Amino acid sequence: MTTTSTAGRGAGRPGPAIAPARSVVERLRPLLMVLASLAIFFVLWQFLSTFVLNPYLIPPPTAVAAAFVPMAETGEIFKHVSISLVRVVIGFVLGSALAIVLGVVMGRMRVVYELLDPIIEFMRYLSPTAMIPIAVIWFGIGENSKYFLIFWGTFFFVLINTIAGVMRTPIARQRAAECLGASEFQIFILVVIPSAVPYIVTGMRVAMASSFMSIIPAEMLAADSGLGYLLQTAGMLVQTDRIFVALATISLLGFITDRLFRLLVDRTLRRYMAFVSAG
Amino acid sequence: MLKVESVTKIYGEQEASYLALEDIAIDIADGEFLCLLGPSGCGKTTLLNILAGFESVTRGRVTLDRRDIRGPGQDRVMFFQDAGSALFPWLTVEENVNFGLKLRRTPKAERGPIIDRYLTMVGLDTHRGKFPTQLSGGMRQRLQIARALAIEPEILLMDEPFAALDALTRRRMHSFLVDIWQQTQKTIVFVTHDISESILLADRIAIMGVGPGSRFEDVIRVELPRPRDPGDAAFGEIYRSIERQLALEESKLGDEAG
Repeated sequence: MTTTSTAGRGAGRPGPAIAPARSVVERLRPLLMVLASLAIFFVLWQFLSTFVLNPYLIPPPTAVAAAFVPMAETGEIFKHVSISLVRVVIGFVLGSALAIVLGVVMGRMRVVYELLDPIIEFMRYLSPTAMIPIAVIWFGIGENSKYFLIFWGTFFFVLINTIAGVMRTPIARQRAAECLGASEFQIFILVVIPSAVPYIVTGMRVAMASSFMSIIPAEMLAADSGLGYLLQTAGMLVQTDRIFVALATISLLGFITDRLFRLLVDRTLRRYMAFVSAG
Repeated sequence: MLKVESVTKIYGEQEASYLALEDIAIDIADGEFLCLLGPSGCGKTTLLNILAGFESVTRGRVTLDRRDIRGPGQDRVMFFQDAGSALFPWLTVEENVNFGLKLRRTPKAERGPIIDRYLTMVGLDTHRGKFPTQLSGGMRQRLQIARALAIEPEILLMDEPFAALDALTRRRMHSFLVDIWQQTQKTIVFVTHDISESILLADRIAIMGVGPGSRFEDVIRVELPRPRDPGDAAFGEIYRSIERQLALEESKLGDEAG
């Protein structure tokens, strides 16, 4: 509807106005399609849960919203969100920092790589969920065990990507720098690390998504706060509407964090993000 | 003078070894344009890497003005076919040229004029704020040339720098390179497998045989005046004689396989 009306107005104007009018529609198109997708989804969900399915098992969006209002008014939901978010951020930052440092060393020093790679190849299959029991024994059910589990989930993604980025620095680029007078150390700092940035950032994005997945089981099994805890208690009391509020919040939180991360990367590391193809 | 004295290059050890170059010798005069021509796998790039100092020789020696070449140095700059990976994609055109100047500790006040001079020479002065990703293939190669010339090397080592470009851009780059060479009087060693390209550019063409143990089969002096025209009869004659020689090499390879 919006599309036709805008195009119609553009067509009514003299020549040059047509092109900008069309491009506005083209630019808005992705946003409009997202809105359309969400609208269709919610209408269908509302209809199905009200008239076809059991609204107790699958509460309609209106019921979920109704459950959300008191949780927002008392601040309960925001408390859980901020607790989970802080855990994710602390574990993520620690895991990324250590993985980048170790990854850069492993990518550049063959002996270190050869000695550590077999161990990492084994340990990376231990998901954060698998580490929950031992984390609780080591660190208790307080914050430290959550930091550790997020750290664990972040570390391997970032490490493996950092190693790959350092190793895949084009040999031509390193030799070009060498011809221009760069020492071994200068090549490392001025060429290898910048070349690895796109890989490191990709690893961090994957790790971020995985952190939001691992914080939930960690909080369900061993915590007295956070979104996982909220989910767990709502489940025990069979409060499906509150479960849906928690699920929607987790999705939204992960989505927003990823967008913020991308925005931050775009603002600060944009020039490093270009992969240059051959030719 | 760049002097290559009976250079032999063997990769690996004992039974697993591969004889890449055997007894290569040539004197390359200052300001000369030499092409290394040969089929792929003949060791052209190996020889170029030895001249650059990226690889060592197994036997023989390579000297520049009577000094042994022991590693890369700012007097010799290598050019790569894949400019996309050889350039620094996170630096602008201007910053790519500045990279070598900073490393040489050229005083800040002098860098500006040097950058201006070489970017103008390669026709990129109006693109100085762009990133390599925003440049065409030909422009990237020109940026590689400007970046190299800025540190004022004596010798340019070029490894099939134009092989990935389209035909039209390539032709333009050929006349451009000859211009730059005539202006700056650099020594150029240019690797190619394209007969026409070598005749268009070179003072002398060293024809290399197929490996293992490839050597110079012949070194031809091209006396044609520049700019050279591939439609010229004399050009065609040189072309056919080189082609015959390379065909001979190919048949040798065939005999061995058969």
